[in-house]
Amino acid sequence: MEKSHRHHPNHSSSSSSSSTHFRSQKFRSNPTTKDGKFTKNNNPNAREDFVKPRRPSQQAQQHVDDSSNLPVLLGTCPFMCPVAERVQRERLRDLAVFERLDGNPRKTSSDLAVKKFCRTISIRDMPTSDLRPLPVLEDTLDYLLSFLDSSEHPFEVVHDFIFDRTRSIRQDLSMQNIDNEKAIYMYEKMVRFHVMSLHKLRSCTNENISSVHYLNMEQLTKALTTLFNLYDANRSSESINENEGESLSLWFRQVPIPIIKSKEMCFARRILRFFRMGNYKRFLLTTAAEASFLQYCIIEPYIIEVRELALSCINNGGYKLHPYPLTHLSKLLMMKESDLVSFCSACGLEMVTDEVGNKSLPTKQTTFCSPKGGSQSYGFLNLEPFER
Amino acid sequence: MAAYPGMSMGEAHRRITEYLNRFSDAVSNQDAASLRFLLSLSSNSPFLLSLADALNIFQDSGRLIKHSDHYSQYSDILFNLFRSLQTYRLGNLFDSYQAFEKSANAFIQEFRNWESAWALEALYALAYEIRVLAERADRDLASNGKSPEKLKAAGSFLMKVFGVLAGKGPKRVGALYVTCQLFKVYFKLGTVHLCRSVIRSIETARIFDFEEFPKRDKVTYMYYTGRLEVFNENFPAADNKLSYALTHCNPRREANIRMILKYLIPVKLSIGILPKDWLLEKYNLVEYRDVVQALRRGDLRLLRRALQEHEDRFLRSGVFLVLEKLELQVYQRLVKKIYIIQKQKDPTKAHQVKLEVIVKALKWLEMDMDVDEVECIMSILIYKNLVKGYFAHKSKVVVLSKQDPFPKLNGKPVNS
Repeated sequence: MEKSHRHHPNHSSSSSSSSTHFRSQKFRSNPTTKDGKFTKNNNPNAREDFVKPRRPSQQAQQHVDDSSNLPVLLGTCPFMCPVAERVQRERLRDLAVFERLDGNPRKTSSDLAVKKFCRTISIRDMPTSDLRPLPVLEDTLDYLLSFLDSSEHPFEVVHDFIFDRTRSIRQDLSMQNIDNEKAIYMYEKMVRFHVMSLHKLRSCTNENISSVHYLNMEQLTKALTTLFNLYDANRSSESINENEGESLSLWFRQVPIPIIKSKEMCFARRILRFFRMGNYKRFLLTTAAEASFLQYCIIEPYIIEVRELALSCINNGGYKLHPYPLTHLSKLLMMKESDLVSFCSACGLEMVTDEVGNKSLPTKQTTFCSPKGGSQSYGFLNLEPFER
Repeated sequence: MAAYPGMSMGEAHRRITEYLNRFSDAVSNQDAASLRFLLSLSSNSPFLLSLADALNIFQDSGRLIKHSDHYSQYSDILFNLFRSLQTYRLGNLFDSYQAFEKSANAFIQEFRNWESAWALEALYALAYEIRVLAERADRDLASNGKSPEKLKAAGSFLMKVFGVLAGKGPKRVGALYVTCQLFKVYFKLGTVHLCRSVIRSIETARIFDFEEFPKRDKVTYMYYTGRLEVFNENFPAADNKLSYALTHCNPRREANIRMILKYLIPVKLSIGILPKDWLLEKYNLVEYRDVVQALRRGDLRLLRRALQEHEDRFLRSGVFLVLEKLELQVYQRLVKKIYIIQKQKDPTKAHQVKLEVIVKALKWLEMDMDVDEVECIMSILIYKNLVKGYFAHKSKVVVLSKQDPFPKLNGKPVNS
């Protein structure tokens, strides 16, 4: 429980601090609320197109990169998808549903086709005419994310498409060594996408969903790692840290003070403290009261764990002759009573009903177990935005 | 950095030749101590500094090196060493590091050919200098807005040196010193995960017998590996290693003892062992004083305050989360105190503690918790075996076991 995972609450990217409950699925990058995440506001040189000369690779010219002896590329492809690939995929009928012109699996257009992720290509083999320059990548990303608004297709299908095509965007960004603030905005948008998918994939029912979920987590981790490196590179700190440690304490050491003291980090650290203490009451209460939708998406699996812990503690320490009333328990665990009944039963616990119909949970039951296939969350009592 | 005022060409020539002779004598006499002195650039010894001035005046040391067979065989080592010294003197740390690395590489080649382990002390100096020069070079790079990369390179070099020492012969006892230099590099870079592979080599390779290594290196090794255990919250392992370091550390090295204690104290606290005040005073670890006091008194407010006051320091050293977790033990102590007071008033009823009473006690500590939250905390304390008993929800009371209701940790961390 204490060991950090990549998806622990601390990684919440800063959402707009004004509203805590989101109805809209579009999350605009809002640089002014980043409370010190990077020194944009303090740095007099932070104009939009300013790129700090921290790495040999800059967008301006092609030259040899010291450390890797590879030329730095500057893409020239003006479309979301290089023409050659588009033509080939038309021929091979390899077009995603969103790319088809009038639904025709053999026809697409330059407005619809988006470059696919290619695992096997190396930087040496990528012609600059296939690489999309930054402005094109920015537009492509916004175009892709707009599909999140439509409900024409099931989420898994939308997720799959955006998952792959944003991976290709990241590939293009990295091959051109683009590491400025614009890259940061793009990575933040992509991280948000993966975080929301964490939540939305839970309610998808297809059989492959756990591997989709796993792959999503993998890309979230990769994108986050790159994002952290980008933050580091754009801050004027002494060293660029490649922190791949597993330890949260280690990670805290390297986070700059202004970030540690930011509102979002303080929230995350508070939640973390409650979690590590096992203070299920405060954990659930604080999450419900203060978490943004994005933060909720990340915290969700821990909510399940904490509720399980709460049941376990109550079952373990509660007086045998005082079964715990359902109404009180549902307030404590912030769950609807009906959900709580299913949850208890998933944990192997029985409820009893008295003459008047009140349910309660007897303690000291020996059949307590971890719910199997545990990704069912139950939302939060009275908080609809979280129930999608 | 002005050149040595008034040094003539002749004088410069003399100094350089003197160094060359000392170098070759040290090697032929297998005099590691002298050799060590000759390699320690960052020591800023007057001898080396004036040599650097001499080199900057004379400018053609290459010719001098080739002058005699005694030292021309070490020309790669010497030429680059001179260059390193010259640029060091002129404040060009980047070039100084580059040259030193070349010299060190050449030295390693020679070292390989020397059968006995006579030159280990000199090799240690080399390893130390590589790291220190790299750190300084990186500082320079960073202050010029460039990407620091030399310390990373130093890490790679040290791995190479490790490889040279990791064999069956007598040189293998030097491997731990190099390991410790690597630890310092990785800790500084933040790439602490890289420690894993070298730890694995030390602890599992059959050629190494931990007991054979010099004591000083064993202490340093245990200090760093102990710290890694603290980061990962493996308290029994952390306790073992840091205690080893403490026990075997030279008692006169107070700065080192302080460093060990800085990490050992949070570990000990987590397993229920409190340091005496004089220890904290003696080694100037007063940041822990309030934490310890909070544990003794069951004073939650004091703990939170102490954590807030020294937050930056604790976060930097990586012990913040460890200390935060002590909260459960503080709650335990608070409830125990209530129990003791009740026992004094009425021993027959003492084992029943009303939740309201705990709420009140917390209120006095300016902690605002309701009955539900207190019940939650109690249920956790019971679950983790910090309290023996049960809680009765309807009567809002905790009923403590008649026997040993507040089990001591006994050197084990709180159950997770």
